[in-house]
Amino acid sequence: MNLDRDLDLDLERIIRAPRATVWSAWTDPSRLERWWVPAPSRCRVERLDLRPGGAFVTRLSDDGAEFVPHMDACFLAVDELERIVFTNAIDSAWRPASPAPVAMTAAITLNDHPDGTHYRVVVRHGDPEARAHHDKLGFAEGWGTVAAQLAALTENMQ
Amino acid sequence: MAQYSPELDGVFLALADPTRRAVVRRLGHGPMSVGDLAREFPMTLPSFMKHVRTLESNGLIRTVKSGRVRTCVLNRERLALVDDWLAEQRRIWEERTDRLEQFVTDPEENRQ
Repeated sequence: MNLDRDLDLDLERIIRAPRATVWSAWTDPSRLERWWVPAPSRCRVERLDLRPGGAFVTRLSDDGAEFVPHMDACFLAVDELERIVFTNAIDSAWRPASPAPVAMTAAITLNDHPDGTHYRVVVRHGDPEARAHHDKLGFAEGWGTVAAQLAALTENMQ
Repeated sequence: MAQYSPELDGVFLALADPTRRAVVRRLGHGPMSVGDLAREFPMTLPSFMKHVRTLESNGLIRTVKSGRVRTCVLNRERLALVDDWLAEQRRIWEERTDRLEQFVTDPEENRQ
C-alpha cells in the first residue's frame, strides 16, 4: 500500500453499522444509488458486476428525468465483505480510457471494529501534470499550433 | 478563485510557453539540476535560464543552490492554483463516505 502524498488520498472512518450492512450498501444497486451522488442529483446504477473485470457503470441526473453518463469503470478485485477495488482507467468494455477529471484506482476495505466497521478508502491517481497539461493547457497548445501554421503559411506566401 | 487572480495570471503566463510547460512536466517526475534540464532543450543556457527564472518568479518552481549545482523543484501548491484537483477528489470521497455512513446508520433504511 504505497501512497504518494501528491497523488493519492487515504481516508478512514469508523462506521457504526455492521460490516454486512456497509457491504450491502455498496453491492446492492438499489442501495448504492441512495448515497453514491450528492442530493439533489440522482444516481442510477446501470451495471454492478462485482467480480474482477466486471463493469461498474453509473448515470447521473440533475432533474430526476434525464440521466447522463457519470462513471464507466471496471472492478479489479472483489473480496466478499472485505474489499472492493475498481478503476476508471479502463472502462466497462476494458478499453483504456482517459477519464475526467483524473484516472484513479479506488480501494475500499472493510474490517470489523468494536463500534461497527472500520472503513478505509485509498484512491491512487494518475499523473496530474499529464492531466493538467491536457485539460488546462490545451488552450495554450492550441494557440501554439495555430501560430505555427500561420507562420508556415505566411512564409510560403513570400 | 477571484482573490488568486494576479497569481493565476502569472501561472498561466509562465505556462503559456512550450519549453516552460515541458520543464514543469519533467519536474513532475522529481527534482533535477538546471544543467541536466538544460541539456534536454535545444537552446543556449542563457535562453534556458530565462525560462527557469520566469517559472521561478511565478512560483511554479523553486531552485535550491548546493555548491555549484542549482536544483529545480516543482512547486505543486502553485500548480494547484490552476487546478486543486486532489483537494477536490478528497472532498468528493469524504462527502461520499458521510452519505454512506448516514445511510447505513439510518434505522429506517436498515430494518432487519
